[in-house]
Amino acid sequence: MTYNAIGKPIGRVEGPAKVTGAATYSADIRLPNMAWGKALRSPLPHARIVRIDTGAAERLPGVLAVLTAKDLPDLLIGRRVYDMPVLAKDRVRFIGEKVAIVAAEDPDTAEEAMSHIEVDYEELPAVFDAQQAMQADAPLLHPQYRYYPHAPAKYFSDLPNVHSHVTWQLGDVAQGFGAAAHIFEHSFTTHYVHQGYIEPHASVVAIESDGRAHVWLSNKMPFRTKELLADAVQIPLEQIFVHLIPIGGDFGGKGSLMDSPLCYHLARRLGRPVKMVMTYTEELMAGNPRHPTTIALRTGVTRQGIIVAREAKVIFNSGAYAAFKPTPVVNITGASQAAGAYGIPNICIEAYSVYTNCIPAGHMRAPGDPQVTFAVESAMDMMAEALGLDALEFRRRNLLKDGDRLPSGHPVEHVKVRETLDAAVHAAGWGQPKPRPTIGRGLAVSHRHIGIGDANAQLSVEGDGTVTLVTAAPDTGTGSHTVLRQIVAETLALPIQQVQVQVATTDVFEADSGAGGSRVTHVAGQATYQAAQELKAHILEVAAQLLHCQPRELTLQDGRCAVAANRDRSLLLAEVAQAALVHERPLVVRKTYRVAEYPHITGFTAQAVALEVDAETGQMTLLDVVTAHDVGTIINPLGHQGQIEGGLVQGVGFGMIEEMRTEDGRISTLSLGDYKLPNIKDIPPLKTVLVQEELGPVPFQGKSIGESSVTPITAAIANALYDAVGVRICDLPITAEKVYQALQAQQQANENPPEHHRREP
Amino acid sequence: MTHTIRMHVNGKDYTLDMPAQRLLIDCLRYDLGLTGTKEGCSVGVCGACTVLMDGALVSSCLTLAVLADGKQITTVEGLAHNGTLHPVQQAFIDFGGFQCGICTPGMVVAAKALLDENPNPSDDEIKDWMMGNLCRCTGYYKILESIRGAATRLQTERV
Repeated sequence: MTYNAIGKPIGRVEGPAKVTGAATYSADIRLPNMAWGKALRSPLPHARIVRIDTGAAERLPGVLAVLTAKDLPDLLIGRRVYDMPVLAKDRVRFIGEKVAIVAAEDPDTAEEAMSHIEVDYEELPAVFDAQQAMQADAPLLHPQYRYYPHAPAKYFSDLPNVHSHVTWQLGDVAQGFGAAAHIFEHSFTTHYVHQGYIEPHASVVAIESDGRAHVWLSNKMPFRTKELLADAVQIPLEQIFVHLIPIGGDFGGKGSLMDSPLCYHLARRLGRPVKMVMTYTEELMAGNPRHPTTIALRTGVTRQGIIVAREAKVIFNSGAYAAFKPTPVVNITGASQAAGAYGIPNICIEAYSVYTNCIPAGHMRAPGDPQVTFAVESAMDMMAEALGLDALEFRRRNLLKDGDRLPSGHPVEHVKVRETLDAAVHAAGWGQPKPRPTIGRGLAVSHRHIGIGDANAQLSVEGDGTVTLVTAAPDTGTGSHTVLRQIVAETLALPIQQVQVQVATTDVFEADSGAGGSRVTHVAGQATYQAAQELKAHILEVAAQLLHCQPRELTLQDGRCAVAANRDRSLLLAEVAQAALVHERPLVVRKTYRVAEYPHITGFTAQAVALEVDAETGQMTLLDVVTAHDVGTIINPLGHQGQIEGGLVQGVGFGMIEEMRTEDGRISTLSLGDYKLPNIKDIPPLKTVLVQEELGPVPFQGKSIGESSVTPITAAIANALYDAVGVRICDLPITAEKVYQALQAQQQANENPPEHHRREP
Repeated sequence: MTHTIRMHVNGKDYTLDMPAQRLLIDCLRYDLGLTGTKEGCSVGVCGACTVLMDGALVSSCLTLAVLADGKQITTVEGLAHNGTLHPVQQAFIDFGGFQCGICTPGMVVAAKALLDENPNPSDDEIKDWMMGNLCRCTGYYKILESIRGAATRLQTERV
């Protein structure tokens, strides 16, 4: 198909605001008479609060109020299960938990007041490791869990501290293992990483005299936030008004209430607007990072190299609260990726989400997929080697096919994994002689659903002939508003400049799922597309009356309705709009789109890495990365490629650069100086390959892309490392230190080889 | 303790009574209302707060406002002229050099300073210069393209 606006690398609608500094983020909101809030956090991982003395802090000049749990409604909050207090009541469960809150005239005074609050604690036994927390003698963090609001009864477990146990099962695993000639067992661990958005969470609340609360916060789910906040501060839903403003990066981390309930309570107490901005130290101490994971795989393979059975046990260190997990299962559904991009007929996956006295973990880009795919795709190479098979060939024998079912039971159709994998290995020169023998190559594959949920669109034609789209889809940086603008321009055959985008508030629509889960271009796209189609019909109907013809005789192009057979008979869109207004039939359309079941079409990613290792230091250099994706119609190639590149570099960060180091529940990397995010010098040479077919549920036959490229790269790096120097790292991240130590161990083993372990050089 | 300082910010003169410990970023954002400059890490690592002081890049989150006494400060708000974007700003839009936009003010200020000093930088020179500005959205590829694109346009303008 050829399109007018679709497929064009159109710059962002909010671009001028963002490059001039005019775009206003939550932390930029300044209101008259605004006060500043700051939270005092627990220094202990598990303790009883014996006494809090706020007197000295209250007496500090400039301090306006100091609140503790006794000043707030006695309730719990969360994104699904409500298990987290707004301020710790009688017990703290992690280092960084909020214990008291100060409002002051300025942030420095609020900060100073922290040191004047006295808290006496009585330490309690703590547990930091998820597997230890599941043992009978572990301290119970939430003895009342089963009675918490929205606790998922279907996923309760009798194991201590397990707050959600989810099983995905296909076929008959025992029978599958019975048919296997080889049975392999592998285990892996992954670490904490932060979403790394450069905008720390900020919240502002202002309460009007009639009680209406205006809320600005770094949040990509404004409608859900409104509901959760209403519960958290015990006011009616209608009294909350959430402003949709730019979000300074999300990657899964900006879906919770964060400090907004505290801002509300302080604002109500003071009768003044209140703002709270987290520091990056607070982000790293008490944000909602990616879950550390322990993954055990048991896999049965036939003599022919076909995987016939798998058991997977995935244990997520949930931290002190489950409050940051939005899914109905209150677990990390990425665990279901333990089948990988393969059709395994007999599989049982068990995911345990476990309370510990660590920072509560949350969602991060493709939640669970990067962890579990690291394990699955590393294991593919390990098994291939043991079977004497080529890693690519072993994968090819097991790839998903049309009609196969995922472990969730969900069928997949139009499966493009083979083509995607082939495209990646072709572009990577897989199997070609290596320029240097020290170069290692690695490969990995994954898939990601196309997201679902609700979204809305309102479209109207203005008196000047421009079309206004009102959307409540937040733009976390993905370019969603620009994509929606292109959909309108295409459907109405308008120049892009003639389409304005207006961002709604939570008053304009009833509900909207918000951004996340590879959803927006699909559901907000469909809402917008359908609204545009209906608007077009409406325009043509009004124009037909004015031109005394049938709507089907008309064309709409470049803002003009014309009779196809006689183009002299025509009207400008502005004229149609004005006439419609006179006849009290304004050209306004509203549409809600809702999809509850995942499409059967999914998107595959195959990545290939070439790297080289400095044997003296363990330092790895990525020489080449290929990322191949099966895609449908691309609405905006600039934004689409931006998603691929950004996700890929986050994957590299997860694999070999980033680590929130912990010691007994204490995060020791508490600044971006210690927690290293990839910078511009860390990026590898990258080749992107798109395997394209106009197919998919996104308007104009497209697919999702945002959560695809982040996933396989880590295993591809691990596999390339093994190929280069024979070192297999199963515990992320793959740092130079770890590689160096493994090389040393390898060298020692080679010098004193036990007979049966000798490795050929 | 408070000092009286005179600052020239984006071509405007300000005389301000400044507490000795006040940071330049807070002065810009809250005393002058120039919230285009962003605070990310607060420790001089992420570059979101980058501004120019007498043409040199500084992290405004680590710089005391009193040190700006008598200096020319350029923030992101000072790059466009009479509603026309600076070529670096336009290139960041055209080449997809940002997504969420939170790092962008620091990025475009740093990129402008680079091109002022080195109108035709190599990729390695761009990377060396820009490594103090973190972006979590783009993976940097399109930032490189944006700066290359801006360099080309600026050179064409000069010819």
